[in-house]
Amino acid sequence: MLTVWATIVKELTELRRDLSGLLVLLVMPMALVLIVSLVQDNVMRATGEAPIRVLFVDRDDGALGKSIEEQIRKAGGIELVSRWKGREPTEEAARRAVARGDIQFCIIIAPGTGEALRGRLRERAEASFVPAKGKRIKPAEGAKVAGLTLCFDPTVQGALRTAVVGSLQKAVLGIELKEEAAILGETFTKTVRKAFAERMDPLFSARAPELPEFVFRLDTDPVLTLSEETAGNGRMVKRPTAAQQNVPAWTLFGMFFIVVPLSGTLIRERQTGTFRRLMTMPVSRAGLLAGKVAAYVLVCLAQSALMLAAGVLALPVLGVPGLAFPPGWPAVLPIALAAALAATGYGILVGTLAKSYEQASMFGAVSVVIAAAVGGIMIPAYVMPRYMQEISALSPLAWGLSAFQEVFVRGGGLRTSCRETGLLLIFFALTMTIAWLSLKKYRSGD
Amino acid sequence: MGEGILQVRQLAKVYPGAGAPAVDGLDFTVFDGEIFGLLGPNGAGKTTAISIICTLLRPTAGEVLLCSLDTARHPSEARRLFGLAPQEVALYPRLTARENLRYFGRLYGLAGRALARRIDECLALVGLDAGRDMRLDRFSGGMKRRANLAAAILHAPRVLFLDEPTVGIDAQSRNTILENLGALRRAGATIVYTTHYMEEAEQICDRVAVMDKGRIIAEGAPRALIDRVEGCANLEGFFLHMTGKNLRD
Repeated sequence: MLTVWATIVKELTELRRDLSGLLVLLVMPMALVLIVSLVQDNVMRATGEAPIRVLFVDRDDGALGKSIEEQIRKAGGIELVSRWKGREPTEEAARRAVARGDIQFCIIIAPGTGEALRGRLRERAEASFVPAKGKRIKPAEGAKVAGLTLCFDPTVQGALRTAVVGSLQKAVLGIELKEEAAILGETFTKTVRKAFAERMDPLFSARAPELPEFVFRLDTDPVLTLSEETAGNGRMVKRPTAAQQNVPAWTLFGMFFIVVPLSGTLIRERQTGTFRRLMTMPVSRAGLLAGKVAAYVLVCLAQSALMLAAGVLALPVLGVPGLAFPPGWPAVLPIALAAALAATGYGILVGTLAKSYEQASMFGAVSVVIAAAVGGIMIPAYVMPRYMQEISALSPLAWGLSAFQEVFVRGGGLRTSCRETGLLLIFFALTMTIAWLSLKKYRSGD
Repeated sequence: MGEGILQVRQLAKVYPGAGAPAVDGLDFTVFDGEIFGLLGPNGAGKTTAISIICTLLRPTAGEVLLCSLDTARHPSEARRLFGLAPQEVALYPRLTARENLRYFGRLYGLAGRALARRIDECLALVGLDAGRDMRLDRFSGGMKRRANLAAAILHAPRVLFLDEPTVGIDAQSRNTILENLGALRRAGATIVYTTHYMEEAEQICDRVAVMDKGRIIAEGAPRALIDRVEGCANLEGFFLHMTGKNLRD
């Protein structure tokens, strides 16, 4: 026990005196968490978590533009911007703004579009009323109405473009339905009156009461409503913010970066002969390793506490929603501990197997970045190809991320995250066993 | 001289894949209170021999008895009986001399006031009492070597192994270390000393063994060995006579 305690004190004293190492361990991951959360918050806004800004240029200036505006506003998800840089933009200016990437979408309604649409709808309505034995009037070929354009930035992702196109088409369909219903009412009255007049005796027709006027009023709101719900444990009442997704993910990434200073410590001990000295002393390899693990787990936990605190306190100051601790938050402690053990175990393994500091720092850092990319820290695993998703399931960062998301995003707790927590502990046990066995060669006299 | 405190009997070590044994039937005894020099050219097998004696390596054959304890059978107990000052400065550069010694002392099971007192004694012995709270990375080369020696004697070992303790330091530091070793000897310490500096070995060792190709090719008091070869003025001359002048690297 004295070995473990002495090693903890020694490691922490060394770390305290290593300013650059402390910077790598504490400040850089915290900066990373803040920067990525700020960036991702913007990405989430741009990919539909917040209203998409669309420049709106109505050159028709009639009822159509107002109807489109009203329908889109009612549907939500799109914020129409009608002024650009303090003035109403021209069609050219709007296209230029999108081409430059200043704004990602613009809707342009050409002059006369509303009038052309109404004319076309009238033709279609009139063509709809024919006597059962009469001849149907064929609508004119290619009589579609042009004049409504959605212009988009080529860098916009497909799903986002589809969402805007879908919203606009839904708005246009609603307007067409309303217009068509109104025209149908007029046409119906006119057609029925005409048919009566043609079939009745002129003597009676003068005395006959006038037929009532029919008005078709269509409600374009859907009858079948679609209810959206977040799948999970049902305890999350709000949709997760960027902080909820990113802070735990990048905290995990920062924790695994402990591999660089930890492996460096082990290699320095070997290179300076200190490890040889330690191996001639009446201490067990397990005791020495346990001391190192305990010291670096403490550092990892302090690091994760700082990063989570930055998510809670600093992000709101920077103008983005902060990290919220859900009801199942006590589960964060065992998950963080398991992740800290896994990260430390990995650092010890790299430090044991690498032959030089350069090898350990390069391999350690790059392997953590790869494990993070594969594990869904940078992009979600569900958007990866099937075979990458299978590889992703093998990354300890994916296990940690899944466990954290279970708590922070899905509103779960220890019970629902125990599988991933267990996998992290198994990974720790495995890395430590390999490290312990490979250190045997430095003291084969046992 | 009585029974040796360290007895090495027919020690052999063959590394896997190596053509020749690194140590081949090594046989010597070190007596209580003497300074025993283990000399030899590069590749002679000194480091392997010391590693086996210090329980870092398991021998292919033979045995090592340290205070009558078979080191291969009881490595943990044996480790309490000896101290090693490796050739490198095997200390933590970001810790002070006192912190380094406190760490190693705790690993030997020392604690509290006894440990603090022992640290002060050892640092005073190597002339580092003034620099006890200085970080190792601010020490000169000679100070580091002395701190390295202090860490090896902290637990008052029965046998002290010194692997080239004066390599790469200035004359003043070397002189101080040799004086320190003299003081340790007067205090009753048994020292096994490896070095490439023959004049050092001649100056401080009671007996030396010259190793080559894994075997001991000569053993005895330095003066007696020098006298064995006609026209030989010093231990270096004897050493070159025994091992030849060809480069070994």
